[in-house]
Amino acid sequence: MDSFFDPFFAFIENSELSEWIRGSESIFAFPTIITLHAIGMAFLAGGSAAIDLRILGLARGMSLAAMGRFLPVLWLGFAINAVSGTLLLIAYPTKAFTNPVFYLKLGLIALGVGLVYRIGTTVLRGPDVELKHKDKHARTLALASLAVWVALITTGRLLGYTHTWILLGVKANF
Amino acid sequence: MEIAPWEVFVRSTALHGFVYRYEPWLWPILQTLHYFGATILIGTIGLFDLRALGVAKGIVPATIHRLIPLGIAAYVCNGLLGIVFFFGHPDQYFYNDAFRLKLLLMAVAGINVAAFYGTGAFAEVKKLPAGADASLRIKIITGISLLVWVGVLCCGRMITFFRPPFFH
Repeated sequence: MDSFFDPFFAFIENSELSEWIRGSESIFAFPTIITLHAIGMAFLAGGSAAIDLRILGLARGMSLAAMGRFLPVLWLGFAINAVSGTLLLIAYPTKAFTNPVFYLKLGLIALGVGLVYRIGTTVLRGPDVELKHKDKHARTLALASLAVWVALITTGRLLGYTHTWILLGVKANF
Repeated sequence: MEIAPWEVFVRSTALHGFVYRYEPWLWPILQTLHYFGATILIGTIGLFDLRALGVAKGIVPATIHRLIPLGIAAYVCNGLLGIVFFFGHPDQYFYNDAFRLKLLLMAVAGINVAAFYGTGAFAEVKKLPAGADASLRIKIITGISLLVWVGVLCCGRMITFFRPPFFH
């Protein structure tokens, strides 16, 4: 398969950083990077899901306004995943960019992060925060957020099973 | 290498046969569910621990404790899924240092849970109002909880890099 982007993939794959992440025997290379990606996932999606469930009425006694203080933890999770995800992409650019699921995942990241921002700025602020479980707009955002996390984690996991190329010119052997 | 008797037994079960037969689509689905479970676990038990440690102190600890049953449900689901994974590829888990450390950390988590609910620590947390600092004892228990669960997550993700080189 020759594509317009092949020289671009080759350039990244031949870089020292890419070769180190892929080829190093060190546990601090690929294994640690992908492990950080799982930790970031758990704090970002897990923390966001907890806020969503509270908006939808679970643990209603818990102050929603006070839950907003968890937002920095979620953003830290996102930062960890933006960095670790970029490093994983540098390690295997052809693998990701030739897989349609990867583009779906990118779209879902934009949606999920956008919803965390929207929920943080609109739902978790204002005079009637604690009554948001009755607010239709807030409930819609929370449901959308939960759906996006389910889809996002699914696409992330599927990236390990749905790729056709591992590296430029190297087919996956399923 | 000789197959150990326990492994011969595991491979003779219907569960092993089921996973073996449907692995190509079953494995990705069950793995995805296992990730959901891990995410819910951190989003419930992890957030409770963070509150006790002083993040989002405006939350009354007893109210955020309402999330814990969901965390326990996620834990049970993931335990059952883990048994399915083990029965599917017993050698890949048993002869695996990351998996062994994961089990050890889960045992530590179990002792820690017993320390929290069995020693009056929970009764103490339940009485804390919004804005209140938890005692050092509570912070130690919840700090261990948070570290151990993140450790379990790390070990779980690392299992694939510690797989034994042989297949039966």
